[in-house]
Amino acid sequence: MAAPMELYCWRGDHGLPSVDVDCLTVLAYAKFAGAPLKVHKITNPWRSPTGILPALKTREEGSFSQPSKIIIQLRKQKYNADYDLSAKEGADTLAFVSLLEEKLLPALIYTQWVDAKNYVDATRRWYAENIPFPLNFLLPNRMHGRQLERLRLVRGDPALEPGEQLEKELYQDALECMTLLSQRLGSHKFFFGDSPSSLDAYVFGHLAPILKIKLPNNKLQQHINSLESLRQFCNNILVLYFPSESRELPTRKVSPQAEGGDFDNEPHKRRNQILSVLFAVGAMLGYAVLSGIITIKHTHAQLEEPHIEEEEDEEEEE
Amino acid sequence: MSLAAEAFVSQMAAAEPWPENATLYQPLREHQILLSDCASSLAVQAYLRMCNLPVRVSCRANAEYMSPSGKVPFIHVGNQVVSELGPIVQFTKAKGHSLSDGLDDVQRAEMKAYMELVNNMLLTAELYIQWCDDTTSSEISRPRYSSPYSWPLNHILAYQKQWEVRRKMNAIGWAGKSLEQVYEDVSQCCQALSQRLGTQPYFFNKQPTELDALVFGHLFTILTTRLTSDELSEKIKSYSNLLSFCRRIEQTYFEEQDRDSQSGASHHSKGPSLI
Repeated sequence: MAAPMELYCWRGDHGLPSVDVDCLTVLAYAKFAGAPLKVHKITNPWRSPTGILPALKTREEGSFSQPSKIIIQLRKQKYNADYDLSAKEGADTLAFVSLLEEKLLPALIYTQWVDAKNYVDATRRWYAENIPFPLNFLLPNRMHGRQLERLRLVRGDPALEPGEQLEKELYQDALECMTLLSQRLGSHKFFFGDSPSSLDAYVFGHLAPILKIKLPNNKLQQHINSLESLRQFCNNILVLYFPSESRELPTRKVSPQAEGGDFDNEPHKRRNQILSVLFAVGAMLGYAVLSGIITIKHTHAQLEEPHIEEEEDEEEEE
Repeated sequence: MSLAAEAFVSQMAAAEPWPENATLYQPLREHQILLSDCASSLAVQAYLRMCNLPVRVSCRANAEYMSPSGKVPFIHVGNQVVSELGPIVQFTKAKGHSLSDGLDDVQRAEMKAYMELVNNMLLTAELYIQWCDDTTSSEISRPRYSSPYSWPLNHILAYQKQWEVRRKMNAIGWAGKSLEQVYEDVSQCCQALSQRLGTQPYFFNKQPTELDALVFGHLFTILTTRLTSDELSEKIKSYSNLLSFCRRIEQTYFEEQDRDSQSGASHHSKGPSLI
C-alpha cells in the first residue's frame, strides 16, 4: 500500500521483543495483522517522533503514540487482525481489554516500578544500563515518579505509599484477573478461534513481561506459571511470531543472574582500572617534578658548577 | 478495604441476617448529586432490589466525606459500612445473597469483564463530560457540587475536585481526547453492551446479575439527566434493546416495589421516568 510505516519501540530483553507492555502489544498486533513495519528498537524515548514509546510514524498522517491509536491507524491502512470477528466477539474484546487495564495493569506497574526491591534491583538497573548517557541518570527516576503518580490517581488515594497492604490488594485483583483470563481461554490456541486478534495482542502484551522478566519479588510470575493455558499461550506466540527473540534467550540468561560477574558486564574494567591508576601516578609525579619537590640531577654538570648544586640541595630540604 | 478487614467483615457479616434498617447514603438528590454519583447510587439500589434486600435511601450533603473510601454510595448495615458496588456485592455474598451463583466460569469471566468495561469507559466518560468539558463544568458540575457550602468554601472545593479529576484523566490518557471522541467511545461501549445483550431479557438470560444492575444504573441516569447537550442520551437511544432493557428493569424492580411500599424515598425523582 503506502510507503512502509515506522515503529519505534523499547529494546527487548529476557527473550522478549520489547520490555514495555504497550510496545509488546503493538508489535504483536502488527505481526498478527501482517503489517509491514520498519521497527526501530531504541532505548532513548526522546528520539521517538512523539517523545514517548511506542510511536508509529506514518508518511501522511503524522505520528501516534498510544496502543489503541496505533491499532486504529493500522486498521485504517487495511491491516486488520479482527476482520473475522463477529460483533459479539468484538464486544468481548472491548470488555476484556477493560478488564486487563483495570485489574492487571495496576499490579504490573506496582511490581515493576513501585515495589522497592524490584525497582532498585531490576527495573532501574535495566533502564540505567540501557538508556544512553546522560539520560540514564534522569529518566528512570522520572518514570518511577510518573508511574507512582498514575497509581495514586487511578486508586483515588493521593497519599498512597508502597506497602504490604496495597501490594496484597493489587495482587489479589491481578491474580483473579489472570485466573479469569485462563478460564476464558480454556484450551483454545487463541481467544477467538484459530487465528489471533487484537485481544490476543493485548493479553500477550500484559502477560509476557510477567512471565519472562525475572524480578526478586515475583508473586505474579509464580501465579502465571501455575496457569498452564496462559503460559502455553504466551510461549506459543513467542515461538510462532518472534522466533529470533526466543532463540536469544539461552545466551542472555547468564548475564543478569551472575552476581559477582561484574567483569562480564564490563570486559574492559580491568584495563580501565590499570590505566586510571597509571594516569594518577603519572599526574602525581609530574606535579612533583614541576613544583620542585623532586629534581632530576644531571650528573655530567657536577664538575662545572658545584655552587649551583649546593643551592639545589638547599631547595631540596625545603 | 484491606484484606484483613475484608475477612473480618465477611465473618461478621455472615453471622447476622440483613436488618430492616439498612441505609444507603448519597449526596442530595435535587441540588447536589452529579451524573456519575447518581449512576453509581442507582446501580447499588437496583442490585439490592434484585436481591430483595430492603434499604432506605438517605440523602446527606457530606455523604462523600462519610464514605470509608471517599466514593459514594455507601451502605450502613448493622454496624458495618461498605462503599462502592464491588465490595457491596461481596458483602451481600457473605450474607448468603448472590445473583451470580448460577453462572459457570466462562460466564463469570465475561460478567466481570463487562463490568470493568462499564467502569472503564462509561464511568470515565461521565467524569470527563462533567469535569473536563468547560461548559458543563461551569454551568452544571461546579454549582451543583458546591451548593451546600457557603463562600469561599464552595469555590475551593469545586475547583479542587475539578483539578483532581483532570489530573486523573491526564494519567490515564484521556486528557488528549476531544468531546466528540468521548461521545464516540460511549457509542462504542453501548454498541458492545447492545451486542452482548442481543434479544435476551437480561445479560445472562433469565436472571439478572450485578452486571444488569450496573448497566441499568448508568444508562438510566444518562437517559433521564438533563445536560448541556442531548448528544449522550441520543447515543443510547439509538440502541433499542438497551432502551427496552432499562424500561424492563424499571418496571420490574422500581415501580412494582414502590407501589407496595409506603415511603416514596427510594423512587428517583430526578427526572421523568422512561415511560
